[in-house]
Amino acid sequence: MLPTTILIVAFGSAGFVYLAGRVHARVRDTLAVLSSLVLVGLIGLGYGAWREVVYVPDFLGLELVLRLNLLAWFFAITVAAVVSLSTIFSLSYMRRKESANFHYSATLAVEGAMLGTVFAGDLLSFFIFWEIMSWSAYLLISCNRGRALEAGLKYIIMSLVGSCAMLIGLLAMYSGLGVLSIPLVAEGMQAASPGFVLLVLLTFGLGFGIKSAMVPLHTWLPDAHSEAASPFSAVLSGVLIKMGIYGFVLLMYVVVGLKLLLGVGAGWLTFRHILCWLGAITVVVPTFIAVLQSDAKRLLAWSSIGQIGYIILGLSFGTSLAFAGAIFHALNHALCKSLLFLAVGAVEHNTGGVRDLNDLGGLAKRMPVTFACALLAGLGLIGIPLTSGFVPKWLIYRSLIEDGYPFLALAALIGTWGAILYVYKLLHNIFLGQLPEKHREVRRAPLSMRIPILLLGLGILVFGVVPGIPLRAVQDIGHTFGLAQLKVTLWGLGSEAGALNMLNICLAVVIAFAAAFLLLRLGAKGRAVDQEDSYAAGSAVPVGRYHYTVDFYGPLSRMISPYLRDRADEFYYWLAARGREIADLTRKVYTGYAGTYVLYIVSFLAALIFLQLVWHIW
Amino acid sequence: MVNPILLIAVPLGLGFIIPLLGLIWEKPTRYVPAAAMVFNLAASLLLLPKVLQRPWVVETAGLPPPFSIHLVAGPLGVGLSLLIALVGLLVAIYAIGYVREGPVAKYHSLYLFLLTGATGMVLTADLFNLFVFFEILCISSYALVAYHGDRAGTESSAKYLIQGAIGSSLVLIGIGFVYGLFGTLSMADIARNIDSVSPMKLFLPMAFLITGFGVEAAVLPLNAWLPDAHSSAPSSISAILSGIAIKAGLYAVARVLFTIYGADTIALLVLVIGILTLLVGEMSAFSQNNIKRLLAYSSIGQIGLIVFALGLASALGVQGALFLVVSHALAKSLLFLSVGYMIYRTGSMEISSLYGMGRRMPVSALCFTIGAFSLVGLPPFIGFPAKFTVIMAALERADPLFTALVGVVLVGTVVEGAYFFRIVQGLHFRPPPESATPARADQEEAPVSALVPICLLAALIVAVGVYPSVLTHYLGPAARDLLDKAAYIHHVLGP
Repeated sequence: MLPTTILIVAFGSAGFVYLAGRVHARVRDTLAVLSSLVLVGLIGLGYGAWREVVYVPDFLGLELVLRLNLLAWFFAITVAAVVSLSTIFSLSYMRRKESANFHYSATLAVEGAMLGTVFAGDLLSFFIFWEIMSWSAYLLISCNRGRALEAGLKYIIMSLVGSCAMLIGLLAMYSGLGVLSIPLVAEGMQAASPGFVLLVLLTFGLGFGIKSAMVPLHTWLPDAHSEAASPFSAVLSGVLIKMGIYGFVLLMYVVVGLKLLLGVGAGWLTFRHILCWLGAITVVVPTFIAVLQSDAKRLLAWSSIGQIGYIILGLSFGTSLAFAGAIFHALNHALCKSLLFLAVGAVEHNTGGVRDLNDLGGLAKRMPVTFACALLAGLGLIGIPLTSGFVPKWLIYRSLIEDGYPFLALAALIGTWGAILYVYKLLHNIFLGQLPEKHREVRRAPLSMRIPILLLGLGILVFGVVPGIPLRAVQDIGHTFGLAQLKVTLWGLGSEAGALNMLNICLAVVIAFAAAFLLLRLGAKGRAVDQEDSYAAGSAVPVGRYHYTVDFYGPLSRMISPYLRDRADEFYYWLAARGREIADLTRKVYTGYAGTYVLYIVSFLAALIFLQLVWHIW
Repeated sequence: MVNPILLIAVPLGLGFIIPLLGLIWEKPTRYVPAAAMVFNLAASLLLLPKVLQRPWVVETAGLPPPFSIHLVAGPLGVGLSLLIALVGLLVAIYAIGYVREGPVAKYHSLYLFLLTGATGMVLTADLFNLFVFFEILCISSYALVAYHGDRAGTESSAKYLIQGAIGSSLVLIGIGFVYGLFGTLSMADIARNIDSVSPMKLFLPMAFLITGFGVEAAVLPLNAWLPDAHSSAPSSISAILSGIAIKAGLYAVARVLFTIYGADTIALLVLVIGILTLLVGEMSAFSQNNIKRLLAYSSIGQIGLIVFALGLASALGVQGALFLVVSHALAKSLLFLSVGYMIYRTGSMEISSLYGMGRRMPVSALCFTIGAFSLVGLPPFIGFPAKFTVIMAALERADPLFTALVGVVLVGTVVEGAYFFRIVQGLHFRPPPESATPARADQEEAPVSALVPICLLAALIVAVGVYPSVLTHYLGPAARDLLDKAAYIHHVLGP
């Protein structure tokens, strides 16, 4: 009954929180935080359990099933953790905002829908929860008003296209196999024709590709993630796009199955190859677009697309190393990206809504905790050792090189260089350098903002030093799909896959730090300087006249920006404009003149008779 | 047990009493339609379990079929009369408060006639009687469209009248042909003898009947009256026209096609007409600025989807079509009703003037959102299982052509989603226009007499969306009632 209880709690609390908001803001806040924490607890209880529950016995003649297994649990706990931290963060962020009631309640509804999606034991429930997730997220994005409206519209229309494609695949499967329960479908697919498998892969792949923002289906993401309210941006980037990844895992490893998947296509033109090259493009191009952004949240949004590219790259290989890397990276990205969005949200909250990177700077001393944690998350995105980003990237690189794909490995490497650039830009422009005059009054973030940021930072550190915790779960998941077992130890990986021991790395880092510290101590004595006492090109900079952060990476962006137009986005806008023109032309059928209408009726009758006379249609 | 004939007699009789009552005391007349529909609702509910086992053939003049006029209360007929009574009742409750100006007694009387016509159409077993009820429905709707007496209403009513009259005369000519060929007007009797006449001779009356009924059923290109009529009528009438009246026309077309002619061969043509209607309807709605016109065009789109489902001519397809009939009747009347008071408050039908209504009229705006999501086909609302069934029926064929057609149908859904999502955003998240005069907060929300039907409709949409099996138990037999020609003949004429 556990999955059902979890869903009832999630959706039920979504309703109650809204009602509580009508009574008193404090009641609402307490209830929202409590219920999101209860959800974390409930899901935590389900670790290692394997359940299957029929929750609606007859929906159009089909059984709707919820099931709990390790894969579902892994994604569910990530979702619940990120949403609960985002809810805690909202306490100060949403205080006294008029849409707070709706924000809390819809966040819980989105969480419920995401949990339903991962717990779904048949494809129909999967689709139902998927759709509920789409429209509730649309409402939640739109609720930030202003430019968020267009972003929300773009998001939901693209989602709708994806879910329509999924619906075709889903029902084609149903008419072909007669079942929708995931294990039975997986069984039935083994005997399916290659064309049918391809139809399923393409239709579902379109839906999942849109949700996970794979290039060229990514165009909704930069708008939606940057325009949504920051706590929800964290949920969007942290876990909602991971639902697309979950879908890919389900599709490729469970429904279609590895054996069949590797057989789709011929020669170089296989599904797998196309997917991994799409993944590589998704890594490289968006990463450099991210470098060009001057809006902090837009930068993070583009970086999300790039990071999703790594996950897709890992998934498309189908080896146990790459798979473990992909799933671990999904977790890593969830932690790092939600932390960064929350950190940017805290800055936005403290500076009165500034998120333009040209306008910030020097906040490190004012918001030290936020800075430290954001630094950690940035390093995690890059994949520096001792953060949770190192092991997954190591796994992905290793399997790329081991399987003999040097170009893909190069693409992944280029992506990491880009990540270094944008992470540095983000951290520098917000936290380092001069403090602009207008931000002199900025104080540290409220406690309810620092707690979730700290917890996420702690997670990044712990999973970085002790990667065995998540790796063990990940490799157990892979094992259920028939992937070879990895030798996971608490500190890394056993020998035959290439030993990896974080303990040694830890030690090395500590020694290096100690050496550097000693060296600096023994050398010249440091001098404490004021934050303004910095220099550029040898001469002192007049305070308030010149700002480092403006036009950061100017030469680089002038060099690469001509190559980085978002052609997919332009194409969709072109398509929409043509669609509108066609719609306007179509409307002219209704002339408003009764004579024409009468003509229509008479010609319809005449056409019917004509058809019969010529072709004997009846 | 209630006699099915009372389903027609009670509203018809009360419809005639209203003007008389209105002469003495006008005030109570507005409660009469609701009372009549409560009766119909209760009677249909009582009848439904019985007719599911065996249709009830009612003889009106003491002669067994095929002589004299008779009614057949089968699963489809009673099911649809239940739907008519339900929507009719809710709209009647809405109208109690909504219709205040003008000839109120006449409104209520005509409204009852309209519902009588629709109920009669779905219950009758006689082709000419079908035409009579069809005319009752049409004439009362011509008058009701022009109820406000303003220029737009009168003009669109006149256009509607012209096209409707042509349609009716085509139906009449078709019936004349049929009578000439078979010498009988009982639908079962015609159906029994249909093979005795050459296809060429048969086709002509069919073409006339389909075109004639098709005008009311609003299939392309016979639907040009609809956007005008639905948008300039009072909102309660728009609701009943979109929710019920087109469905009655569609019922007539389906009866003629499936039960009388058993026309599987032209199913593909029906399918194509359905798709064209769907696409043209949705695309015309796409850039509409007038909310009621937009809803009217969206009705055309939905009708197209229903016709598409009928054109699949399979048990599941027809079941899906009936599911859509129910879902569209509930959702579209909900949309028209909830938007009615918004228009009343702002005095404008421009979508941009409805911005920010989510704050001023939260309940109405919420219910509008539910209706819009349901029409797009999002779970957990009734539109989802309905659309799902239709697409399931289309993909059941496992034919690449049908898969491609479903793709085209879903393009319509995306367009539909695009405009509804835009409106929903406008209602809840856009700032109200500058000109909006914020009145006192307690005056803003629609009155209770409007909120009750709106909320009931929204609740029904959610309830059936979550538990579609409450409906599917009845849709299966109803679909068979329409498709299974032999059983229909057997029930009416005996073995």
